[in-house]
Amino acid sequence: MQHDRLVLSLLWSDLRAALRHMRKGDLAWLILGGGVLIAYGIADIVSALSHHAEVLRTARIVWTVETPAAAASLGLLLGLTASRTARAKALAPFLRPLPLSLVARRRAALLATSCFGILLAAIVAGLEGLAGSIVAIDDPLASALRAAAAFASGFAVTTFHSLAGMRAPVLLAAPAHASRSGFHLAVLGRLDHATPRWLNAWAWRLPAGRILLATPWIVACVAVSIAMVLATGASVAARQAIPAAATATLGGIAVFMLALRCHPLRSPILRTAPVGFSRAWLRLMRLPLLLSVVFFSLPASAAVAVQPSAWPMSVGFLLMLFVLNAAYGVFAAYFATSPFTAALSFVMAVGYAYYESFEYGRTVLLGLAGLIALLWHQARRRYRHG
Amino acid sequence: MDNVTALQARNLSAGYGRRPVVAGINFSVRTGDILGLLGANGSGKTTLLRALTGQLPLMAGTVTIAGIDIVGKPEKAKAAFGLAIDPGDLPASLSGRQYLELVASIRGCPADTWPCGDVIARLGLARWLTRPIAGYSLGTRAKTAIAAALLGAPPLLIFDESLNGLDPEAAWEVKCMIAELAENKARAIVISTHVVESVPGLCNRAIFLADGRILESWDATGLAQAAPTPGAFEAHIIGRLREHRSRVGQQLQENASAASV
Repeated sequence: MQHDRLVLSLLWSDLRAALRHMRKGDLAWLILGGGVLIAYGIADIVSALSHHAEVLRTARIVWTVETPAAAASLGLLLGLTASRTARAKALAPFLRPLPLSLVARRRAALLATSCFGILLAAIVAGLEGLAGSIVAIDDPLASALRAAAAFASGFAVTTFHSLAGMRAPVLLAAPAHASRSGFHLAVLGRLDHATPRWLNAWAWRLPAGRILLATPWIVACVAVSIAMVLATGASVAARQAIPAAATATLGGIAVFMLALRCHPLRSPILRTAPVGFSRAWLRLMRLPLLLSVVFFSLPASAAVAVQPSAWPMSVGFLLMLFVLNAAYGVFAAYFATSPFTAALSFVMAVGYAYYESFEYGRTVLLGLAGLIALLWHQARRRYRHG
Repeated sequence: MDNVTALQARNLSAGYGRRPVVAGINFSVRTGDILGLLGANGSGKTTLLRALTGQLPLMAGTVTIAGIDIVGKPEKAKAAFGLAIDPGDLPASLSGRQYLELVASIRGCPADTWPCGDVIARLGLARWLTRPIAGYSLGTRAKTAIAAALLGAPPLLIFDESLNGLDPEAAWEVKCMIAELAENKARAIVISTHVVESVPGLCNRAIFLADGRILESWDATGLAQAAPTPGAFEAHIIGRLREHRSRVGQQLQENASAASV
């Protein structure tokens, strides 16, 4: 194995190891289910493009500005993900004591990220060209190249930014002290006191009763709070309950998603203890649910205050919040060690169900419920049998 | 062959964040030395080894490996030692063979350059090498980490509690290899261990750390004198540990009573 292809080789080995560790049944489900879903999605998009071909053909702005802008945004996002993954591999703990310079690590990470970038840009160009051909625009090839160039620019910007920020691989915190410190909030300690004790503190990797002061958390909380204030203001100004009540639900689920961490479900500490999966899961959900309801109650109260007759609507939104929280809780339990994947999968599943509901109505909810039941079953099986 | 300085730490302080874990460390290791690093849990052995191997930024002092400053020229200095990393840090998705090839590629040597015979055969690793590390037991991982440390025959070898988890035969084999490596005075070895009774037989020097400082050190003669009978060295170390603990406890009590006054 050559060290200039170090990151590529490590990622390839990880992929092979992940496939090897998958049960054959799960793999078959993934390939068949994923294949059917992708085929259905492509057919759906092709039919939508054909249906609106005439309008799209004349709307030049779609092909010259909007699609390249979307491709560039996608490039930014995927570039960030790919470069962070590559960076983590280039700075893997086992490489720390080896004589590998920062430049060599950066080069290996850049090589891996570039391979991803080229592959993804080719896919973007292919899809754009295909869409252009279906709509029968003047020059689908030029449009494809424009989209690929925009994607590549976005991808390159985040890649270079991320890899330029790579620092020498030294430890800044002892593994034993790697739990984040945060600041003291006594009420959290009291709320986290139920048996099994300190489960949320463990899940957040924080000393009991402290909360985290990290920039992404602060930004997210400020964004949710601003949305709450704006929605409440809009409700008060228009004497309408809907903006505040709807934002209360969205803010509540956002807070729940930010606060829920389920990695203890994969730990042998819980798995070998006389605690059932449901009890451990409900205990992990307890504190995030409380925070979510607290966030919900503020704008929801404003909604009831400006339009008292709309209280059933607020109750309905509260019930919806509980259902969404429970659904996300199942995703978080399934993707216990990766909250980002859990959140992304949940948002995509709900978004897709919402999109399909225009065509198939509420029957789509059955599919979503089936998916959640399957994930619950799999998460419980993993908890019991590893 | 003449003894040359393989490792030198001068007034070394290192720790995590702003908190120093080890401070005021001064020692050197010459080729032919087998230095045993002793200390209770949390005494700073692993932190010291991390600082010596450039994994942790220094707060004060200098570390030179074969005369090369670890801060100034980290890659060059790292090429002069082999560290048996924590078995948990090994890349689980690679096979043992791939991992050794990767380390050899970074060190710029063939993947079968050992300083003491065929290490793979001696450690009984051959049948495991094609399998992913994820499936290895703790002992097999430890053997893989030791084999990787020996690759390219670096002049300084560092083992951080690497004998943990090895079966008796492999542990014996590793001890024999360590003795062979130091015998021709071409290499220096640093071993951190909790197996105190093995130190007088295996090492020709020892350092005892407590609360991040060197509490006591022995050269070859001192080590022989400290272990006149089986178990004497272990009893001495336990005595020093208890003495240190009671002194720290007394100091804390005095500080607390002074604060209350």
